[in-house]
Amino acid sequence: MGRVTSPTAPVTETGYPWPIETTRLANGLRVVVSEDRTVPVVCVNLWYDVGSRHEPPGQTGFAHLFEHLMFEGSQHVRKTEHMRLVQGNGGSLNATTNPDRTNYFESMPSEHLELALWLEADRMGGLVPALTQETLDNQREVVKNERRQRYDNVPYGDAWLRLLPLLYPEGHPYHHATIGSMEDLNAAGLDTFKAFHQQYYAPNNCVLTVAGDASPAEVFALAEKYFGAIEEVPGIPTAPAGHLAGPATEPVRETVTAAVPAPRIYLSHRTYPFGTAGYDAVTVLATVLGSGRGSRLYQRLADGKRIAQPDYIGSYGVDLAHGPAPLIITATAKDGVDVETLEDGLAEVVQSLIDEPVTGDELDRAKALLTTSWWRQVSTVGGRADTLGRYTTQFGDPATAGSRLPAWLAVTADDVTEAAVRTLQKESRVTLTYLPETKA
Amino acid sequence: MSLITTRPEAGTARPYAFPAVRRVTAHGGTVIAAHLPGQFLASAVLLLDASAAREPAGREGTATVLAKSLEEGTRKRDSTAYALALEGLGAELSPSVDWDTFRVGVSAPAPRLAGAVRLAAEAARTPKLDPADVERVRDDEVTALRMDWAQPGPRADAALRADLFAADGRYGRPLHGDPASVAAVTVDDVAAFHERWMLRPGVLLVAGDLDGLDLAELAEAAFADTTGQALDLEAPLGLAVPAAPHVILVDRPGSVQSTLRIGHRAPERVTPDYVPMTLAATVLGGAFTSRLNHLIREVKGYTYGIRGSYAMTRRAGRFEVAAGVQTAVTGPAIRDTLGEIRRTQQDGVTEEELAVARSWRAGQLSVEMQTPGAITGALATLVVHELPDDYYETLRREYLEATVEQVSAAAGRHLAVDGLTLVVEGDGAAIRDELAEFGALTEATV
Repeated sequence: MGRVTSPTAPVTETGYPWPIETTRLANGLRVVVSEDRTVPVVCVNLWYDVGSRHEPPGQTGFAHLFEHLMFEGSQHVRKTEHMRLVQGNGGSLNATTNPDRTNYFESMPSEHLELALWLEADRMGGLVPALTQETLDNQREVVKNERRQRYDNVPYGDAWLRLLPLLYPEGHPYHHATIGSMEDLNAAGLDTFKAFHQQYYAPNNCVLTVAGDASPAEVFALAEKYFGAIEEVPGIPTAPAGHLAGPATEPVRETVTAAVPAPRIYLSHRTYPFGTAGYDAVTVLATVLGSGRGSRLYQRLADGKRIAQPDYIGSYGVDLAHGPAPLIITATAKDGVDVETLEDGLAEVVQSLIDEPVTGDELDRAKALLTTSWWRQVSTVGGRADTLGRYTTQFGDPATAGSRLPAWLAVTADDVTEAAVRTLQKESRVTLTYLPETKA
Repeated sequence: MSLITTRPEAGTARPYAFPAVRRVTAHGGTVIAAHLPGQFLASAVLLLDASAAREPAGREGTATVLAKSLEEGTRKRDSTAYALALEGLGAELSPSVDWDTFRVGVSAPAPRLAGAVRLAAEAARTPKLDPADVERVRDDEVTALRMDWAQPGPRADAALRADLFAADGRYGRPLHGDPASVAAVTVDDVAAFHERWMLRPGVLLVAGDLDGLDLAELAEAAFADTTGQALDLEAPLGLAVPAAPHVILVDRPGSVQSTLRIGHRAPERVTPDYVPMTLAATVLGGAFTSRLNHLIREVKGYTYGIRGSYAMTRRAGRFEVAAGVQTAVTGPAIRDTLGEIRRTQQDGVTEEELAVARSWRAGQLSVEMQTPGAITGALATLVVHELPDDYYETLRREYLEATVEQVSAAAGRHLAVDGLTLVVEGDGAAIRDELAEFGALTEATV
């Protein structure tokens, strides 16, 4: 009971209806396999349990710069050969770093599974001998260009960089952004990176997931063959604790005057860690509040009062698991609307989640959208491998991936109201405002 | 510890096959559906011959304003009721406009797709188009374009397009118009565009597990109450590459990067050289290990990424290199870029490079075509360019069989380093002087 679905909704017992098998090598590497023979494609995905939350002061941006170095060759793979071998055999590859973790993945035509495993094993076990000052210097420049392109040269591009220190206190693992500071990156020395690899890029700090056109037996045997000889690293240091006792108690505000085309506001609150019942309620709440044209923000501010630009309004949670994850709510003023009017409007809609119970229709709509987005996420072998890697790394069991969608669908209107009452009070709000420079 | 020192050999490849395609015809329209067994998500796209190229002069952006007006209510229900009905199925409408088509797409769990298609067709065929709503959507679109044009890129894109297609009317203007042309769009323009182009049956593309989908029901939803015949195709615009390179500066004071858009015209999608051209561009600027990315990013560290490619539509084609480079190295980055284009044009490609390009392009046909959305996109290519159902199998074979001679010859024919337009959007005060060496310099007014 309490589960609200429309009559045509598919029955959802699990969000992960594909098989999952796991094993653990003697060196601690966890191996997860999810077989699906539908297309001749296989994805190899590695989650290393290291992210920017592990970075000490003065070393911000190191985890991410390190991710770049992982593509520059290893003991038996020449510089540039990694990319050439993956793309040159039909594959797509990438890697990402966030506060929680670093992931590496390649989707390949399935006859190249063994190649992908060999490449990954070589850079897990043999990166340090291949790491040179020249490579470090070059990739440092690439990362600085990445920062310019994604954050510094784009209107509002630095919002995330500004929100984090406002949301999380000094010393908290989420206080600084993953991209790091130019100063810290400039100071980065080769030995630090060698030590970083030796410390964190260990089989016992990693989950290897293979999804798609491969059998568990085949993958387990290949994992042993390629990764089995890599030694376990004892005593991997943990990141500083991310626990915070409840929401912030003082509102914080920052106003930036910059080369932006219109006033924009970001409201943000710390909520709950990803994976908890509280965060499931926040996920539904964010969808009710700010996802799609039927959301409260769109209906009341883009439509309704018509004070916000319809293309730039919304809310979303950032799925971080090692501390209370942020909920971000944003709107951009329409021409002629002043920023105070916009902020009042936003605050009123956020307050409505506390004062005005979510209706059955609103809940239905949010759950239907979340259902589609879940199935989209697992519609590729790459999406499935990453999902299983996440749930194994963060919750110790890939099968828990299947419970997320049912957990969203079980959220009640009362759960949403309670999450709003607990997390969206004015006292705990971060307000970041961008104002256009006044033209002379 | 001992790692395995030798690279493993490839296993046995499973044969490649594009998903099985089924067709159903009703009311003059055709459903083209690809079977993806086991997919929970399904996608549908109503494909209409109502592209941006059909917009009247000076009113570029009419189709985009129409696309955004479709959800402002239909003859049956107001905008709020429409949003709740559609999103209650877990679907969101994605209308889009390109140079060949107008597309109205929806994705939803398969059991809900028919309802979503019914609502998509309701919006596409019978939008309310209340004048006050259309005017508001238009004004919002002007604001949204201004927001977009404040980012690096759109102004440079517009300057390049204006230069390459100066003599070709609509093709010389941005796909979605610019703030001024959208501001000039009237309610009557939008209503007339809808009336004239959106009521023919068109094609409904579907991808998903067809065991749970009733194609006749989808056809009925998409094509009931439509009228008119398919339109005749118009001829390609043809080629016009200038004899000398020239430079256009788009000033962006204080910019920490220079945005490069360097290009010239190229054949249209119908060209028999499509495969060797694509492979040549992959070697030059497509793959991560491409000549451009290797030199400009990996060796020099000037950029986060640089790409070179051909874009080919039914009636127009162009070659383009795109990148954002650090302001201080704008000149050296352009010099190196031109050097690689020249080398590729004059000396062609090597077998080692082509081997990567071949396998990558062929492999991408399976690796990047897993989702229902990707498959409807692939079906759209078949329809727009009148290609057969077994096209992707043929394409894969042609990629794998292309020779160094064929690809080098295509590079020689379809790259023109001495006819390039070099658009540079960046801090004029810092870079203006060093641009002169690359050709006659003008400043864009976009």
